[in-house]
Order: sequence, then C-alpha cells, then structure tokens
Amino acid sequence: MRTAIAGLGVVGGFGYGNEKLSRVLISGKCTPKMLPLTTKNQTAELPVYICDTSPLETFINKRALRRVDHFSKLAALGSFLALEDAGVLQDDHQKLAIVVATGYGASRTTFSFLDTAFDDGDACASPTLFSNSVHNAAAAHVSILLKAKGPNLTVSQFEMSVPSAMMTACQWLEDKVVDAVLFGGVDEYCSVLGYCWQRFFGPDPAARMKPLEWGDQSAIIGEGSAFFLLTRDEGDKPKYGFITDIQIGHVRKYKPQSPEDACLFLGADGQKSSAIHYAQHIPHGTHSAVYTPLYGSFPAGFAFDMAIAGLSIQERTIYATPEHAGNNSGLKIFWDEQRLASEQICCLKFSCKGEFAMITMSVT
Amino acid sequence: MSSLPPVPVTGIGCLCAAGTNLNECMDSLFAGKRNPFPPARFSSDHPVAYPVFEISNAFHSGGSNQRSDILFTAELALIAAKEAIENAGWNREAFKNKRVGVCIGTTVGSTMNNEEFYRSYRSGENPNMEAITRFLNSNPAQVIAAEYGLTGPCQTVVNACSSGTDAIGLGASWIRSGMCDVVLAGGADELCRVTYNGFISLMITDDSPCKPFDASRKGLNLGEGSAVLVLESSDLYRARNQPARASVLSFGSGCDAYHLTAPAPDGRGLKQAITAAMTACDKTVEDLAFVNAHGTGTFDNDRVESLVLNELLPRIPYLSTKGYTGHTLGAAGAIEAAFTIACLETREIPASAGFETQDPELPITPVTHQTPVKGSIAITQSLAFGGNNAVIVFGRGDN
Repeated sequence: MRTAIAGLGVVGGFGYGNEKLSRVLISGKCTPKMLPLTTKNQTAELPVYICDTSPLETFINKRALRRVDHFSKLAALGSFLALEDAGVLQDDHQKLAIVVATGYGASRTTFSFLDTAFDDGDACASPTLFSNSVHNAAAAHVSILLKAKGPNLTVSQFEMSVPSAMMTACQWLEDKVVDAVLFGGVDEYCSVLGYCWQRFFGPDPAARMKPLEWGDQSAIIGEGSAFFLLTRDEGDKPKYGFITDIQIGHVRKYKPQSPEDACLFLGADGQKSSAIHYAQHIPHGTHSAVYTPLYGSFPAGFAFDMAIAGLSIQERTIYATPEHAGNNSGLKIFWDEQRLASEQICCLKFSCKGEFAMITMSVT
Repeated sequence: MSSLPPVPVTGIGCLCAAGTNLNECMDSLFAGKRNPFPPARFSSDHPVAYPVFEISNAFHSGGSNQRSDILFTAELALIAAKEAIENAGWNREAFKNKRVGVCIGTTVGSTMNNEEFYRSYRSGENPNMEAITRFLNSNPAQVIAAEYGLTGPCQTVVNACSSGTDAIGLGASWIRSGMCDVVLAGGADELCRVTYNGFISLMITDDSPCKPFDASRKGLNLGEGSAVLVLESSDLYRARNQPARASVLSFGSGCDAYHLTAPAPDGRGLKQAITAAMTACDKTVEDLAFVNAHGTGTFDNDRVESLVLNELLPRIPYLSTKGYTGHTLGAAGAIEAAFTIACLETREIPASAGFETQDPELPITPVTHQTPVKGSIAITQSLAFGGNNAVIVFGRGDN
C-alpha cells in the first residue's frame, strides 16, 4: 500500500493552517483557554484547547454557513485548507471521495436539539438542529460546499476512529474506486463533555499535559480537525510523503510492529487508562516523540500526529517534544529539534480498552 | 471489464418488529403482517401518537437478553451477530485463528444523547456517569469484537440511513483485499425519543401506518432492529464445505452533494451508485430478479427512487419492506440485505406493504402481491441524510 499525501489542513487550539502548526511545533508551547463549567454546587474552570472557525469565511460567504454548526465548520475549514494547500481548491471535485472520522460527532448540536424539546415541548424540537446532529453532517456539509459527489463515509470508533477510517480511504484508492480522497479527523468540545471530563478525572484539572508520565492523569481536553488530500502513488514525490502501512489490532493478541529505524509519534495524551499500554508495549529506548500537549486530548487527535508526521517529512525535521511532557517513559525522546534521519515515522495510538493502531508514513 | 470476485455470505442474523430471527421475519413478510403502534417504551407530548415498529415488549423485557451495561442498540447487534455466527457454523473458539473483522452501521448507537442525564445536567445537578459509561461501552462493532474476542479491523459506520448497506459493502471489500478471512457486517439501531422527535420535527413522519410509494403516502414510521451477515473468503468457505446463502457481487455508492436531508431531485447520487454496482459485478439488467428499494414512504424519497428505477432498471419488480419493519435507520440497509438474500433463496418477494393507490407522478408500481421472481441477482439500496446513496448487488447462493 502506498497512499500519497498531497495536501494538509489543520485547525486546532493553536490556530489554523500548516504555518501555525509549524510555529507551535517550534515553540513547543500552546496554552489552553480556561472555560467556565457551572453546576449547582460549584463554578469551576476547565482548560480546553478550543478552536476559532471564523477563518472559514475567507473561503465561503457567511450566508452559505448560516445553518452550519461548529462541528461541521471545523471539518469544512480543515477541508478547504487541505485542498488549498494541495493547490486544487478551485478544481472540479465531482469525483472526490470524502471520509471523516469522529469520536463523538456533533455533540453541541445534539444537546442543543434536546434543549429545544425540553424548553418548548417535543412538538417544538428543531428540525435544523436535528439534521445537523447526525454524525455524518460534517461530511455532508463538506460534500455540498465542494460539490464532491464521490463516495462519502463517516466512521465513529472512539479513539480508533481515525485509523479505522483511514484504512477504508487507502483501500478505496488502492482498489481504484476513486482517484482522490479528502480524509479528515474531527471532534468538538462541548460543556457536557467538559462536565463528563471532570466527573471522570476529578475536579482539579492538570495545568499542563505530561503524557510521558505514564502514571499521571494529565489530559487536557481539545477539539479540532486535521484533513488530508490523499491520492494514489503516481510516481511524483508528494508534499507530505506516503502512508505505507496501517496496523490495527488489540494487545490481547498482537503488538504493533514498527520498522527498526522508524521513530514513533506517540498518541499518548495524558490518559492514565491508555498510558499503561504505551508503557508495556513499546520497547525501552525506542526513538519517540509526543505532541499531544500542543493540541490536546480528543478521539480524533490521532489525525494531528499524522499531520505533524507529514510536516516532519516535508521539512525533513523531527520537532522537539514539548519540554514538560514527562521524563519517566524509558524511551529515547526527541527533546531537541533535529534532522529527520529515518525514512519512516510511525504514528502509534493505544485506546484505553487495549486496541492499538499504527500508521507508518514514509519519506519515499 | 472484469467483475469483482464474489464474496460468499454464509450466515445471516436478523431481528426487528417483524420477528426475532430471520425465519420469523420472513414468515411475517409473506403473511402480510405488520404491527405499527404508538411507542410503548417511551412517551411524548405530541398531540398525535405517531406509530412505530417496536420490537415486541415481551422480547424487550424478557430478562435473559437484557443487559444494563450497554445500550439496547449494541445488544441488538449482539443478538443478530449470534444468530448469524451460528447460522454460518462458526463459534468463538473457531474464530481464534482467523482474521475476523467487524463492520457495523448505526446512528443512535453512536450518539451521546441520554435525555435523563442531560436533563439533570441542564438543571444544574450532578448526574452520575452511569449513562455515559454505558454509551462509551456500546460502540456496536467494538461490542461484537469484544464478545467474540476478535482482533481484526473494527469499524462503526455512521452514514445515517445507508450505514448498514455501506457496512456490508465495506466488509466485502475487506474480504476481497485479503485483509480478513471473515467479516461480521451489518447494522443495528434502537428506537428512541430523540430520533422520534427529530423525524417528526422534519415533518416526514406518517401518523398512520406508512405507505411506501402510495399516492397518499405521508412519511415514514420509525422502527428498530439489527441484522448481521457473515462474509467469508471463498477459500475458507470452500474449505469448510459450508454452503453460501448468497454472495456479495458488488457495492456502489454516490453522494448527491445537494441537501442535508432531501435527496437530489434527479436522483444523481442514486444513479451513480446503481451504475457503479452494476458495472462492478458485470451483470446485466436481465439478470436482475428484483430490487429491494429504500422506500421510506416519504414524498421525496419515493419519488426519486421511482424515477431512477424507471430510468435505469425498468420492468424489474421492486418493493419496499419498510411497511413491515418501519425505518430502522442505521440497521435498515442490513435488515433489507437479509430480506433480499432470503427472497433470492425462496425465489419470491412479498407484497410491498402499505401500497394501494398508484401515484400519478410515479412512473412505476411496486409489487402488490407475493410475486415469484426469476433472475440470479438482486439489488438492495439505501438513501440517507447527507445525500448518501449505497447499493449492493447480491447473487444467489448455493441452495
């Protein structure tokens, strides 16, 4: 399998676009916003890597976006940026396929829809909110905005959403079902998720993420989208290299197998329940980096590691792991920016249930 | 063009309002039974009680199948998977040395929308996390994989009402690519107040039993259920000497890129999907025994499907089975795939329930009575929110 990555578009707590992502990788710092979280007994603040989707209006006029919610705007902005980056934004997208991966879908809109029924009765539930609450609303809006009429797929597999969906995107290209796939991972923050976060992980959120301290719960919630324009290997050298392997499995039967000289980008995101698998299944001394403190913890976050791997391949650079990520992993962590010596980068993610996925990206 | 290798279907499981297994369902369909009633498991304050096709209360409160740790959607998926696996002659032990994938479509099963939890949260209380934990444990594909100790690819497709059809099409491609020896593919969805209110808000719900393709159709009735097919590699099924009930010959999909909830008036995405599927299986219209249409009973869906079928597949008998099951959303494509295979086996199709009067705007008429069919292949098709269209061509099996 060789899938070329021709374009990249990202929207995160750090801003939007590849330049912003490069900058945050170089600085190694991204500060979450403190958002209020109110319940009957307390008002607390929760750090969140929150996104601004207003730059979408540089691509699409406001009127066309009036019924598009935050979740779909995240996806649309990532999509337009990826196509612009690939230099094909103005092309005819009739045959373009769209594949979207999301852990929780349009959660804000889902709860807003419930609000309309709770406030004014079942008969007053909002049809607009209902139609925007379905998980494939983002993929649908992107297809409408781009007039993309190829196959359209949305996958929801919690933390494994991105690799599971990527498997299908790559296969469509390999089977020549389509010539190009616009692929993206997207998730949004909403206050209900914030409440759940606090209930699951305690009232005192970590001030910063320390994903390499395996025993600590330090995840900070995030949101965002990372989109890729994928094509077949047609002999050209794609901007961001190739996807050459996707492994998906469960630790009860398999372990991820990375090439000997590869460096690992770990999806460890400060969740104690999944950290144990990184600790157990990555050999000590493996060359590794982790960037989750720059974009946060959310199910589709794996797509950001892939985007960073793409930038690393383009720039032939391994960016430094943020300095406070933790010191007790037993791995050889890239603490300084350096030249990418390996031909391959493996993005590795474990879920809290023991599932794993590893996507290998290659320079050539 | 050379056709794709067929993917054998060696087992089927299905349950919905028409029956708690595939045989019961088919008996109901051929007996013309349909029992939509106002929802029994939840109430609403709509002035009209819109009927739904609910799995029987006796089944739902039966105890032995009831699990409190997962959503009912995931439980439905497990029940259909069990029937399908047994039907195919597999078991948990036999799966141990095989690469087994799971691909399941759903809508409700992937949505965090527990009303009790949210109502409590909204009123400033501190609701406990039981409902959220249950949701997080209920990804349908993951639940099936965990139940049978499967470690192959796992994918929950959330393409709204075409999810089940898409999941089977994708599962077949996993077999063809050599990624899996066996794939459990299908769909599952439960009835809930959220979708009930949602479809009523869109004004596409009939306040009487639905009437797909009928002149007086007013919309859909919601339903619930699940179906799972066991797909396996040709080498494996030959080695097991297990008869195939059917084969997945091809899959096609296309997006309207037109509107979030309404199909493109010219049916362009559906035409694309049918054309892609028929081209990929290298069969002709003459080979077609029948079409199991999406046939929701909504004004727009039935009009577009009717126009497209008349244009691309004229004179092919077609029906909607939603008059027997209601619209089961993410499960619909899988349930209808199961019915399609069962009808290929018996070489006859039931009447399209709910149809009585020809709509002068629709150029063709669904079957009005139990009808023998000729031909070795059949199509099942799904249209969905977001403009998704998905089509599978099934070939007759070994029996």
